Amino acid sequence: MNRRHFIGQSLASAGFLAGCASSAPINISKAQVVVIGGGYGGATAAKYIRMFSNNTAQVTLIEPNADFISCPMSNLVIGGSRTMAEITSPYDNLSKRHGVKLIKDMVESIDQKQKTVKLASGSTIKYDKLVVSPGIHLMMDQIKGLAEANQAGVTIQAWKAGPETIALHRQLAAMRDGGVYAISIPEAPFRCPPGPYERACQVASYFKKNKPKSKVLIFDANADIVSKAGLFRKAWATLYPGMIEYHPKYNVVGVDAKTKTIKFEVQDDVKADVLNILPLMRAGDIAVKSGIANANGRWVQVNYLNFEATAAKDIHVLGDSIQVAPLMPKSGHMANSHAKVAAAAIVAELGNLEVNSAPVLTNTCYSFVDATQVVHVASVHQYNAAEKTFKTVPGSGGLSPEPTTLEGIYAWGWAKNIWADSLA
Amino acid sequence: MPLIHFQPLIKSGVFSLGLLGLALLSLPSIAQTSASNLNNRSLAATCANCHGTNAVIVPNSGMPNIGQLTKDEMLTKLMAYKSGAQQGTIMPQLAKGYTDEQLTTIASVLGKK
Repeated sequence: MNRRHFIGQSLASAGFLAGCASSAPINISKAQVVVIGGGYGGATAAKYIRMFSNNTAQVTLIEPNADFISCPMSNLVIGGSRTMAEITSPYDNLSKRHGVKLIKDMVESIDQKQKTVKLASGSTIKYDKLVVSPGIHLMMDQIKGLAEANQAGVTIQAWKAGPETIALHRQLAAMRDGGVYAISIPEAPFRCPPGPYERACQVASYFKKNKPKSKVLIFDANADIVSKAGLFRKAWATLYPGMIEYHPKYNVVGVDAKTKTIKFEVQDDVKADVLNILPLMRAGDIAVKSGIANANGRWVQVNYLNFEATAAKDIHVLGDSIQVAPLMPKSGHMANSHAKVAAAAIVAELGNLEVNSAPVLTNTCYSFVDATQVVHVASVHQYNAAEKTFKTVPGSGGLSPEPTTLEGIYAWGWAKNIWADSLA
Repeated sequence: MPLIHFQPLIKSGVFSLGLLGLALLSLPSIAQTSASNLNNRSLAATCANCHGTNAVIVPNSGMPNIGQLTKDEMLTKLMAYKSGAQQGTIMPQLAKGYTDEQLTTIASVLGKK
């Protein structure tokens, strides 16, 4: 059968050839697609499934937050050079412009047999295709005392942009000049590989201007800076001489909220005024709870052609929750890229069209080394059929040679356009 | 919430021409979509993160507006980035990740009509 035929013809021939209900394709206008999570992955998937199906598939997006708050750029709010309003976008354009049904709720469970999701509010929604894009979960229980320290308001992670973002800035603002900010980084993989190092820059930038006797300590469980290492090292030395200390192979095992002390697996305890302890991460709760996180119980293995979970039919998983292909970062840009490949595959599957055998992903990640100068890392990932994974193209991608304000302009251009691409 | 349940076109293995006719009539514009069309749109969407959905840029966002380029202008530019003839920050690095055929497809999907 010529798969390039119009879908109507495909439907007809499939019906005549197969002659049984089980292989009948879904009438795409009746298809219910449910998307869990309105981040860079989920929001983009909701919009692009509508677009790619020429506004026929019915798409419901379930997201507990009233607005989208971007993790990329949120380090600038922590450093005080930008505001929460500048990194916040509404969800309502997805419904107004694209006909996505928005439900402000949490998904409590997925029934794979009945193909339904149950919401915290109690109602149940049926799906033909489910997109799961819940982001990351911080494994607070992996560091002794961390959950308690967070509840006491002593250590704030701010690794999901929102109330903690502004709360961390307030802690820095309340700190005395000559105080110490300490950030700890878990073993990779974690959300946003350059994020902790950019945050160190932003805190140092704030200190340089406002509290120049203060220090930034970075304790990294990894053997070296995970992303843009040379660029960050140089930025720290030139922009913040004597202010930032980087300590590799420091693995945090405990936190004492009362004495504001960090305990390490090997090294001596360290005290700090502001503690930003990032624990190990795993896929968002709903992925782990529903049993699809089959990579060490932490991440979801997917078929990279359609992002369907290997453990569950018709459940497509995007973004930070997946077990990544080589050199694939857990980033907002990458989640947006996953979403477009998955959206095209979902529309193809619902319409009985052949799924793209050669999808492409890109990643672009800008990091601010101060309030205006920026460095980037970029990559292109082509699907490799023989190895059934995405691989970066040799000779493509790369880093900035140095920080520039031109890339600072492009970084905001990227942010405004990816927010619109995902949400408007 | 109201639910519209999945309704297969063929319910019991008996497929009447009448039902087929109705089904085809009720099929909306997805009927215009083919696999290659979907693949091409999906490939071109890899540009949207920075240059806007369907090359419609966010006004005054500071990003180059590629939506004003014709198909030929866009392809010439992309190939120049790929060959190194055209300098830039990210684009020379990204263009090298696409095949010539892919760049041609992108230009035909996104180029000004």
